[in-house]
Amino acid sequence: MNLFLSAFFSGTARGAIYAIVALGLVLVWRGAGIINFAQMGQAMFTTYIASTLIISGKSYWLAFVIALIAGAMLGALIDILVMRPLSRVHRAEALNSPAMKATIPVIASLGILGLLQALAGMFWVGQERGFPAPVAIEGLIVAGRKMPFTAFDIFTIAIVALVLVLTSLFFRKTGTGLAMRATALNQEVAKLSGIRTTQVRILSWIISGAASSLAGLLIAPSSILSPSSLDLILIIGFTAAVVGGLDSLPGAVLGGLIVGYVISFVNFYRSPEDIFLAILILLLVVLLVRPNGVMGSKQVRRV
Amino acid sequence: MTLEISHLTTQFGSVTAVDDISFTAKASEITTVIGANGAGKSSLLRTISGLEKPSSGSIKWNGRELIGLKPEAIVRLGVAHVPEGHAVISELTVAENIAMGGLFRRRKNRADLESASKEVYELFPRLEERRKQLAGTLSGGERQMLAIARALVARPQLILLDEPSLGLAPLVVEQIIATVNDLCRKTGLSVLLVEQNAITALGVADQGVLLSLGKVVADRPAKELRADATLRAAYLGY
Amino acid sequence: MFKKNMIRALFFAIAILLVGTFLDPYNQSQLSVALIIFIAVLSITLLTGASGQISLGQGALMAVGGYASALTILNFNLNLWLAIPIAVLVSALAGLLLGVTAARLSGPYLAGTTLVIALAIPSLANRFESVFAGEIGFSVDFGSSPAWLNKVIGDVPVEKWQLIVTVIFATIALFFALNILNTRTGRSWRALRDHDIAASLQGVNVGRSRIFIFMVTSAFAGMAGALYGLRGIVSPSVYAVSLSLSLLTAAILGGIRNISGAMIGSIIIVFLPDWIGAVTSRLSVPTRISDYLPALITGLLLVATVVLSPGGLSGSIHHKKHK
Repeated sequence: MNLFLSAFFSGTARGAIYAIVALGLVLVWRGAGIINFAQMGQAMFTTYIASTLIISGKSYWLAFVIALIAGAMLGALIDILVMRPLSRVHRAEALNSPAMKATIPVIASLGILGLLQALAGMFWVGQERGFPAPVAIEGLIVAGRKMPFTAFDIFTIAIVALVLVLTSLFFRKTGTGLAMRATALNQEVAKLSGIRTTQVRILSWIISGAASSLAGLLIAPSSILSPSSLDLILIIGFTAAVVGGLDSLPGAVLGGLIVGYVISFVNFYRSPEDIFLAILILLLVVLLVRPNGVMGSKQVRRV
Repeated sequence: MTLEISHLTTQFGSVTAVDDISFTAKASEITTVIGANGAGKSSLLRTISGLEKPSSGSIKWNGRELIGLKPEAIVRLGVAHVPEGHAVISELTVAENIAMGGLFRRRKNRADLESASKEVYELFPRLEERRKQLAGTLSGGERQMLAIARALVARPQLILLDEPSLGLAPLVVEQIIATVNDLCRKTGLSVLLVEQNAITALGVADQGVLLSLGKVVADRPAKELRADATLRAAYLGY
Repeated sequence: MFKKNMIRALFFAIAILLVGTFLDPYNQSQLSVALIIFIAVLSITLLTGASGQISLGQGALMAVGGYASALTILNFNLNLWLAIPIAVLVSALAGLLLGVTAARLSGPYLAGTTLVIALAIPSLANRFESVFAGEIGFSVDFGSSPAWLNKVIGDVPVEKWQLIVTVIFATIALFFALNILNTRTGRSWRALRDHDIAASLQGVNVGRSRIFIFMVTSAFAGMAGALYGLRGIVSPSVYAVSLSLSLLTAAILGGIRNISGAMIGSIIIVFLPDWIGAVTSRLSVPTRISDYLPALITGLLLVATVVLSPGGLSGSIHHKKHK
């Protein structure tokens, strides 16, 4: 029973982080039609920034906020410097087939990932570091008994829940949120309604960048920080996004939790070595049985 | 508030959809562009609203060149386009679709935006009843109303309507066309109505522009066009 | 066409061998690596360039080829001339499996899924340690040149023997790639890339073609993987995700649309660190910068290529010629 509870709580906390990663991926996918493989590179980079600030004696919370801002800025930069020129270039190019159009931004995002990892290596000498948590990461002790969850688990779940509530309010209640949803659903009608779609696009990158940074900050305390340490999280986040349905924000959250539980239970009941295999199987099963994900729209996206 | 189109040409690859078209849509009038399927009517509207880039020519709105502006900028100048096929966003609710049309005015003129959306609901009471419903659940006629409502909430001076009658029952078409006609007569809204259904369109229009294979064949008062049996037989088939 | 391709491939082999004789042993072995990478990049050029599909999992298919050849060599005591064809077959089969699952995916979905595969497959070596020897892996090598060859052209050192073997396989791969691109099959692949709906209307069976493409390109990757392993060790870290990404970079840098691009890209990706090293050691750049400079420059080149000239180096040369 205790093992089950431990797996459950750890799965919830992990799943909450994956939900944020998936949310970041889905935001850019909906807003710009791109799967951003550089996302966890961005997270790694901003987590290094936070870590450097903390090492130099600044408070955790200052570092936390600065990392989020840096993540948002990094997202904006990627859109302005790479993705926007890209969408202009290959309109005129010979590589203009639908398949290539979807492929080229993916390649660009991989290039950005490589770039960020190299830069992090240069700035921080590629050293592996630990990253602090604002609260204890050991099992919480309540009334003399060790609980199957840690204070940091609760912290993570609380922060993620807060972020999800705010995001959902933003999309449902604000005009900008409506503009973003409209653009994601039907760009032409959105444009004809006077929505500036380029601004919506960059906003998707900004929010996604901040979300990725948050994921990095939450994941770092339970692993080490190195230029490539978050690559795995991207794979997991991608799986979560596909499981939930790439174009659904609630789906991203659900997908994140599902993947979190799968990983946690495999980890607790079998061995960490089975995690990759479990992810691969989960991904393939979802793609074969329900390619649009658990909460994705019915419309089949093929090309 | 006139729209002057001169020598406008739009090409898709080797196909010339709009071929050296010139005409003027006068203020507070209904100008209808009629012609058979493939005559270039939709491409013409899409070029005016900035969705397609023309290869040459000019589109002057109040003396201002529209070519080169993005669709979102053209809407802001008061030219609203209701594209073909009841273009609404089915995954959003009726209220959200209407709110979307007024989003760009929400900061500058909130009070007027509120009264504009009130007017739109008064114009189409059916939409008021279905505010909370997803647009995808509406009937074809209601969706067309919603598409027009979405455009009207931006308080345009010119509305470009692309085949509002497409796929709708005659009674519904009559109702929609009557509403548009009313708007034009009462509020002075200019209308550029693209229709395959020439009888209905010429029935309400002031001026008629007849297109065939991307070119203007006739540009005359609607009454004259209606009366011209030769043109009717040659291009409209009735 | 068949004959012309044969002549081209042979010309390629002779040119490489000639260049090889002028190089020192280190650069000879680097050239072999470039040839191996070339074979693997061909698999991407054929897949992405000819059919529009993107795979980040070619490194995993290389691993399949590497393990297949290592297991054949060690368990059945076969030499590489038999082991490599077996590896090619096994990875073609793996490609068939991948194709069956991936045929309905495209664009970013396929990219993500193949990336997961690139991570998961090498980890199987740890999962089934008794068969695949875990992190330690197997040690295999190219062996040494046969006695008759030594008699004909004098003693063949290891590096040169490695080069000869890789040239032979690279030539075979090149010959097949040329034939695929210039035949009906190649044309139907490109039709699939440009307009898959139109292609299906013209009688191309889209699903089956996609699976077939995966199978053929996996065979190339498997061949490359077997050769890559023969350099010394077959283990999960040899076929890491970064390998898959390097292959993609090489394919894009050189030019995804043609075979010369694959060669240019492979040479760049293999020799760039050496070239950068030569420059930085002269300029006494601190190691923490020079260590990451190749990665930085490849990343930069990759982004610059897709933004400025998506056709890659060979593409932009081609483009200018036709202006």
